[in-house]
This record gives sequence, structure tokens and C-alpha cells, in this order.
Amino acid sequence: MPISWLREYVETAVPPDEVAERLHMAGTEVDHIERTGAWGDKVHVGRIEALEKHPNADKLQLATVGYGDGRRKTVVTGAFNISVGDVVPYAETGAEIVDGHTGERTVLRPRPMRGIVSEGMVLSAKELGLGDDHEGILLLDKALRVGAPLRDVLGETIVQFEIAPNRPDALSVLGIAREASAILAAPLRQPALEPLTYRLDPALLSVRIEDPDACPRFAAAYLTDVAIGESPAWMQQRLRAAGMRPIDAVVDITNYVMLELGQPLHAYDAERLRGRALVARLARHNETLRTLDGVDRILRPSDLLIADEERPLGLAGIMGGEDSEIRATTTTVALECASFEPRRVRRTTEAHALHGSSGSAAARRFGLDLSPDLVPIALARAVHLLREHTGARVVGATDVYPRPRQVPNVRLRFSDIGRVLGADVGREEAVDALRRLGFAHAELGDQLVVTPPAIRTDIAIPEDIVEEVARIVGYDRIPVRVPTGVLPLHERHPLEQLRERARDALVGFGLQETISYALIDPAWLERLTPDGSPIAPEPLPLANPTSAAQSILRPTLRASLLDTASRNVKHRRGVAIFEIDPVYLARRGDLPEERWTIGILVAGQAEPVRENETWLTAERDWDWHDILGLARGLADALGLGQFDDQTRRPAAGLHPARSYGIEHRGRVAFTIGQLDPRVAAMWELPQTTYLAEIDLASLLDVQRPPQAVTPPRFPAAWRDLAFVVDEAVAWAGVMHEIEAAGQKAGLEQVALRDVYRGPQAGEGKKSFAVRLTFRSATGTLSDADVDKAIARIEGRLRHRFGAAVRAP
Amino acid sequence: MRAEDLSELAGRAEAEIAAAPDEAALDALRVRYAGRREGEITKAMKRLPALPAGERPAFGAAANAARERIEAALERRTAALRDAALQRDLAAAAVDLTLPPRRVRIGRYHPITRTIREISRIFAGMGFEAVEGPEVEWDYYAFEALNIPADHPARDKFSTLWVQAEGSMEVALAATGAGRARAATGQPDRILLRPHTSPMQIRVMEQRRPPVRVIVPGRCFRFEATDPTHESVFFQYEGLAIDEQLTMADLKGVLYSFARQLFGGERKVRFRPDYFPFTEPSAEIAFDCFACDGTGVTNEGKCRTCAGSAWIEAAGCGMVHPDALRRVGYDPSKYQGFAFGGGVERLAMLLTGTVDIRLFHQNDLRYLESV
Repeated sequence: MPISWLREYVETAVPPDEVAERLHMAGTEVDHIERTGAWGDKVHVGRIEALEKHPNADKLQLATVGYGDGRRKTVVTGAFNISVGDVVPYAETGAEIVDGHTGERTVLRPRPMRGIVSEGMVLSAKELGLGDDHEGILLLDKALRVGAPLRDVLGETIVQFEIAPNRPDALSVLGIAREASAILAAPLRQPALEPLTYRLDPALLSVRIEDPDACPRFAAAYLTDVAIGESPAWMQQRLRAAGMRPIDAVVDITNYVMLELGQPLHAYDAERLRGRALVARLARHNETLRTLDGVDRILRPSDLLIADEERPLGLAGIMGGEDSEIRATTTTVALECASFEPRRVRRTTEAHALHGSSGSAAARRFGLDLSPDLVPIALARAVHLLREHTGARVVGATDVYPRPRQVPNVRLRFSDIGRVLGADVGREEAVDALRRLGFAHAELGDQLVVTPPAIRTDIAIPEDIVEEVARIVGYDRIPVRVPTGVLPLHERHPLEQLRERARDALVGFGLQETISYALIDPAWLERLTPDGSPIAPEPLPLANPTSAAQSILRPTLRASLLDTASRNVKHRRGVAIFEIDPVYLARRGDLPEERWTIGILVAGQAEPVRENETWLTAERDWDWHDILGLARGLADALGLGQFDDQTRRPAAGLHPARSYGIEHRGRVAFTIGQLDPRVAAMWELPQTTYLAEIDLASLLDVQRPPQAVTPPRFPAAWRDLAFVVDEAVAWAGVMHEIEAAGQKAGLEQVALRDVYRGPQAGEGKKSFAVRLTFRSATGTLSDADVDKAIARIEGRLRHRFGAAVRAP
Repeated sequence: MRAEDLSELAGRAEAEIAAAPDEAALDALRVRYAGRREGEITKAMKRLPALPAGERPAFGAAANAARERIEAALERRTAALRDAALQRDLAAAAVDLTLPPRRVRIGRYHPITRTIREISRIFAGMGFEAVEGPEVEWDYYAFEALNIPADHPARDKFSTLWVQAEGSMEVALAATGAGRARAATGQPDRILLRPHTSPMQIRVMEQRRPPVRVIVPGRCFRFEATDPTHESVFFQYEGLAIDEQLTMADLKGVLYSFARQLFGGERKVRFRPDYFPFTEPSAEIAFDCFACDGTGVTNEGKCRTCAGSAWIEAAGCGMVHPDALRRVGYDPSKYQGFAFGGGVERLAMLLTGTVDIRLFHQNDLRYLESV
């Protein structure tokens, strides 16, 4: 919106930037400010004094342009929309303009055109940087002083406002002027209206509402003797500044009134209305309409139409039809000005995908709660402009408004202002703010009864009034205060606590935390096993994904971890990462389960920590013992016991001989292992990629409170032991056997010192070397006690595993 | 030999001992002078009986003095030699102090985690309890209960992502209060990815009675083309406080305190009217830019942190709408309070100097290790 237009309605000496700033700070959000008219001294207001044919070219003509003080130049132009007497922008040689073809800024240089050198140029809107219009020369208001620098007459501050959806009244120049007038305490000037007589012979035009819920108000004017031509230059200029393309005087005036007052209007060629009627009705079954954009649309029974007695003319409030459009030959105009139920407008706009269409400016306004009280004002304004600029004669008007809307009276106490704001706003100050906003009010003691202007459809409750007062006195008046009062009791959040402790532990282990997209590519899930079979339940798909790559809610963290690792190993040799986030599992008829999961991944090189720095640490890759150590370390750090069921089940997608999963309460609670080498290859990951996945909620079941240990008083005794068993014997069984046998004798720790395979153990055998620590809580152990315990342990190992005890 | 000779002997011994180059030479000198059998002193003492009785005491005293001098010299020299040896060993153990260390593996939190923890910590200090809620949500909680019914124009702002499923809230056991009323209709409701954390305002109020003070960090989703300042998946923090006398001044105070603790220094805070269907009055809060101290310019020209505006818009906020209070069974004539919501990434970007919001989800370790 150009500030100069605003100034037509608000008299103020406040500079444009400050007007914008004060509007912004009072709730009319300024998106950005543009300035046009940074033209230098060489662009002037010129006047076409003579036109003649170019001697060497049919498509060019020579224009003699005067630009004040007797200065006169002849230019070559390809435009034919100019005639003698027109006032146009004229640029001297050396002026900076926008190239009409490339859109780039350029300095105008003398250039012969078909043998004649143009002394400067007459300019299109585009060449001035005023829009995209390069069809013809921009015609200026003939009242402008010829020779004036163009920047003085066209230079403009244009403010782009962002209007909240509850304020359709502010979606117009007058609406913003009303705000500015209240904020600046400056008088508001109303635009000129045509006094209308609401009487109209139905034989000329009748208006009917079939569904008053969908169309609460429908007014129309009937005009004859309309001379269709171009609208005045100032109007075209304002439409252009608002991003609208001038078409003809009638359409331009309806658009202009929409910009000015916020109320869209639609003009019909009255001769083409069958039955001389305008009807607001719902679409019938299978009805079709070719809209102005040339699209044939099948209408839905919930679409509100404007129709004549025989056929649909347009989608009400959204887009007209081709048939009833104003044409160059139109002389009789039926002007519609109506009010529509916003939700239906929004649904129809959406259903017919008309958001970005040319009708969207109207649909956008009708999609909000626009007051029906604007209808007669906008009609009177449009008729006034039509009479002035097209020579139209007003035959009559009609206004159908079966159930007039009541403006609410809002009751509040003066004390409510302080109660809500916590600011001290005086009674007079509050009343003054309301008066400036055009709100009527009555005071009854401490009570205040406020009646907003009808156009302010957003005002309904006392808090709305409080906000209005606050906006005008300024939000700066609200003091900064630290709240007092009773603090609520807080609750414990075991899952969140455990989760954060897990994060701390894993960071402490030296892993990097990652957070990846909760939305993933479904194709990823097919790359988690060698044969593409799923490792997780069916994911939840989105109805309207932004892209296939983000079209499902992830049912596992694994794909994200592999993707993260895969992208990082392109530029480093090793990664060690973890993520703690929910996975999403569908539940019938309910919101999905958001199952918090810990995912750990290590891949490639483990050491040295700093790549290539091998002077202290040899290079080595991550291995199975590392991932197991991370998982065990996490369990120790969090104080976790074991799951009841320790059965190790095969884990899908992991190395068949180097992985397992453990179930708890019917779900896989813990998975660990090396990534299946075939899967690793699919993700371009090193073979040495290891994963652990842990269901956080399951851990709550095995979480144990800390058990404080008092440091022992008596010394420990050590014994080393080595024994040979079959290769198939697993360590855990051996260890449990030793623990069971040594328990009574005070066996405190079994430490594995070595696992040996070789000639001394024998084919198919291995040797375990252990160091056993014994300690009694009641005294120092004697050698004899320990010897007895060792003998018992050896006996059990022989008996249970056929172990051959070696000399240590 | 006379007593004077003994003194001379001691003097000679002292000189030789002081010059002993090592332990072996020292041992030889010890034997020669202080040896119990053949040492010079011992030999001298053996002559004592042969002396005239009158000279004996003086000679004996001189011999003892000489022995003491020699033994002291031996001790001194022993200590000196040991010290010299230690110094040699220490010098030999010298390392190149400038060599790189044995590196430790440093784990790091994701900047989003750090920022959320910082937010929660600051608000916890003001009595706000951190709670979390579902990321996949009913239309009811995301919109309807927040005064944004179907076809409401405010929905346009949210560009919501919808799940290809609908369900009935009847089965949602957590639903109490207004949610239960909605659930009792038995009507199916649409399921969406929450476009803001505000649904938790309703869920929290349904489950608690005032006074309420909660802070809700969490993941949100929008149908959004991504660019350096826009993400389709992002995090918000939502605050809610309900009590009998909370005002917009308290809201300002809480956010002011937050800004000071987060950014440091004497921050200024600015309220500007804004519109949210579920608060009235509503405001947008901005802090004066901590990078340029609210001037809009730094030594390098226009401040890059606030784009020269001198203000950092941080959160939308307002007084909880009476309709929302009524919907959860709070009496608006008795209770009132405020709510606020802001973007976690925005704060994380400001705090870490991250210029592209997409970095948070790309997990490029080169980035993550730098922040």
C-alpha cells in the first residue's frame, strides 16, 4: 500500500517510516517497506506534443516530447498507446532505467533505431521498475506538471502489511487509515460516496438469496450508459502498486474499491443476465461452469453460486464465469456487492484449487469474517467512481439483507484492564483509546459497555476490548514483573529422567549425539535386510507429504542411523554416534505409540581418536567388543539389571553370527550386533558397522535403585586358574559355574585374563585363564580356606565342562 | 703423631672426599679414613696407649673431632652424589612437551538437546515443570480446542501435515475433561503431526488444576519447503502458567528473565500486538539484540544476528483465551494466565552462530563437532 494513498484519508505530518513503525507496534504488522522512484534527475514528466511515422519502419514512430521550460526532444518508440497530449514518463540520455526485456538496470545510451537516433526514451511501467507491464507507455495523470522530476510525482513509499486473519476490516487502505487515525490521533477522512436510492424495477434487475446462511446480504446497482474505456492513470498506478493489472474502467473500479474499502464487488454485463436476475444459490447436481480462467468446472452441491435464472454465472465471491464478463461493448452494468459465509468460501476455494488464482484477492477477503455492513458503503463508492469515470447513469439499487447482524455490546469493568494487563491504565485514557478507534461506549459506574464499529467483527469479549485499549496506549505500558503466588507441585518423570541420564552416559562415552528427521523415505526400510523384508511394523504414511523422502513416520531409528553414518563416512574413516528419539508405531483407531528408543552406531575406524594420528595409538576398527562395551557401560551407568528372559534371538538385518535380540514383555527390548555385511554394502558403509537399539521404556522395568557399598575392612586373596574346555563351551556358563562354586567361600570377582587357542590347548579346544578374588566380610581368609574353594571350583569345572585344569 | 697431625689428616680427608667423583671412590675413601679396622683414625687411636698419660686426653679428643669431620664430609659427599645422580635421571627423562597428546574421545550433545535443556533449566528456576506430549496429535487438541475449528482462516498459517489415518478419541485413555467430552461424541477425528506445541496447553490443563506452570519442549512438523530459515521438522518450546492473578506483566517478566539468563546482560524486552486464536490479548515478544546490544550495527557494519533491526523476535505469547479455559473446566472468572511459544532452532542458531537451519537435521559431524 502506497503511503500517499493512506494520506488521502489520514491527515498527518508524521513521516512515512514512522507511520509504518507505529502501525507495526500497534498490531498492524509491517512485512517490509519498498521505495519506488529512486529515479535520478534525468527522468521527467513529459508531454507528447507531436507524433509522426518513422520514415524507415512501420512498427516505430517518432514522438516529440516536451518536458518543461521549452525543452523538447524527439524519441523513437515502438509503443502505439500514446496520442498527442498524453502525459508520459520521459528519460533523457544518461538516465538509469530498467531494461524492458532483461529486467536489469541499465543506463540509457543514444542508439540509432532504423537510422534515427532517439533523444532519450518514453517509458513503460516496467522500465520504471513499477511492475511487469511493458505493453505500452505508462500514461500519467494529465494534471501533472510537465517538466517536474518524475520522482517528485511518482516516488512512493510502499508498505507491505501482513494482516491477521481476524482483521479483514484492515485488509484495505481505509482500514489501515482507520488504524493510523486511531494510533496517531489524526482525523479520518471518508471517501466520497454516491447517495443511493434503494429502489429498482425488477424488470430491469432483481436480486434473490436462496440460502441466507451462505449469503447473508446481497446488494446490487443497475447502471446504464457505461462507456468502457481505460480507467484514470492515477487509478491504474495504484492498482499496479498493489500488484493488480489494469483491465478496463469497470473492472478497475471494482478492484480499486476492494483495495480501498476491503469489500470485493463483481460487475456483470446486465444484457447477458437471463431473466434479468442475480441469484445467490447452491450449485445443483452436476452443474458446470466455465470460470474466467477458462477452466470448465464441475460444481459441488455445497458451492455457492451467483446465477441468473438459467445458469451459473460464477463461484460466489471467488471467480466469475466467462459468459457474463464485462466486454468492450458493454453499456449496461449490474454491479454485485454481497456478503458470503467465509467457511463455505474457503472450502470452495480449496476444493477447486483457486488459491493462487486471479480471483484470490476477493476469495481471500471473503474467506474471512468480512462485515455485511461494508456492502452498502462499497456499492455507493463504486457507483460514485463509475459515474465519474465512465459516465454511467445510476438507474437504481437493491439490497437484500434478511437477517441483519447484531453488533455485540461488550460489558466489562474498568478494573478488567488492569486485571489482564497488570498495567495501570487510567479510566480516561481507556475511554479515549476506544473513542479514537471508533468504539461507542457507555459508563455505568465501574462498568463499561462497549459497542465496536460494525466492521470490527473480531470484537466479542472483554479481553478483546482490553487488547484494543492496550494497542492504543501501547504495549510498552505493560510493566515487567516477576510472577508471585503459589508454585504448583511438580511431578516425577521417570522415562524422561532415564532418557536424559542415557544421553549423559553416551556423551560421556565419547559418542556424538545426532537428531535426524522423524519423517523418512519408505524405500529406506527396504534396505535394512538383505532380502528387503521389514525389521519394523508397517509405518504410518502421511496423507500430504512434502516429498517421498519424508513421507512416512519412522518405525525404527536404524535407517536414520545408517543414513547419517553413510553420509559421514564419505569424509571420515570412523563414526561413533547415538540418537534418542521416538519411533512411531500405528495403533488401530488411536494415535500411534511414540516409543522412545536409543540407537547407537559405531562404524569404521575406532582409533586413533584423531584420524591419522597414529604416533601413540595404532589404527584399529570398531569391533563387537566395543559395541557390547558401550551397551554394558550404559547399563552400568544407568544402574540396570538384567531382563528376566535372557534368551538371545536372531536379529533381522544384523550379522547372523554376531548379533542378538532380547525380548521383554512381548517386544524386542534390546538388539545388538554387527550390521549384516550385505546391508552395509547397500548403504556404502564399512563392514565394521555395529549397532545397538534399546527400548527406553523397557529399561524402566530393570532399573534398580543404587545399593551403597561400604568399603571392605579385610584384605582380599587372589588365585590364578587356567583350564581347557571344548571350543563350543561359552564363557558365560563357565563364569556362572565358577561364581556358584565360589560363592560360599567369598568369591568376589572372576576376571578373565586370557583366552588361548593353540597347540598347548589342543585341537577344537580353548583355554580360559582367570584370576579369582576372594574376600570375607568377617576376617582375613587363610590360604587353606582359599585352597579349599579353588579345589571345589576345579571339581565343578571338570564335572560340568570336562575341563582340564592347567598349571597356572 | 700429635694432635695437630690429626687435624691435618682430617683436612686432607675432607679435601679428598669432596673431590670423590663417584660412589666407588667415596667408598674407598670411607675405608681408608673412617674404616673401623684399618682406617686412619682407627690406626691413630691404636697409638693412644703408647702416648704419655698427659697427652692422651687431648689426643683422644682430637681423634674424635677428626672422625666427626671425616664422617660429616662423607655424608655431605654421599648426598651430593645422590642428588647429582637424581638430577641426571630427571634430565634424561625429558620429553618433547610440544608433542600431541593421547587424545580422549569427546562426546557432544546435539545443539537442539543443549538448547532445550537450557530452556527447561531456566524455566524450572521460575517454577515451570518440564512436561512432554505426543508429536502425533488429534485435530481436536492441535486446533479445535485452541479456537481454531475446521475451515478457520488461522489454519492457513499452520500448513499441517496429516497422517493417512483417522481414529476415535474414545480409545485415547489419556483424554480427560474437554478431550473426554470430544471423545464421548464417538466421532472419528483426524490425526496430524502437531504443527506447534500448543496442543499441550489443553492436555496439561485437562489433567491438572491451577496453579499450573509448565514448559513443554518438543518436535513439531509443517508442510514447508526447506531453505536456510525454514524446516519441515523443527522444535518448539511452549510455556503455560495459570493462576488467580497472573497478568501480561507477569508474562513479560518471565520472558524478560528468560532472555537475560539465556543471552546474558541487561536485555530489553519489547511486546508488540499479535494475533493467535487461543490467546487474548496476544503479543509477540522481542529482545534487543545481544550481538549488537540493540543498536543494529556492529564493527563490521549491519548486525548479522538481528539483520540490523536491533530486535530479535523470539516468541508468540498472550493471555490464555477464556474459551480455552472454559473448555477444560477452568472458571475464567477465577483463573487466568498466560502462554508463550517459540522456536528452539531460532535460539540455537543465535547461540551457536548457525546460519542454516537445515544443519540441525543433516547431522554432518563436522558441523556437530563445532557447536
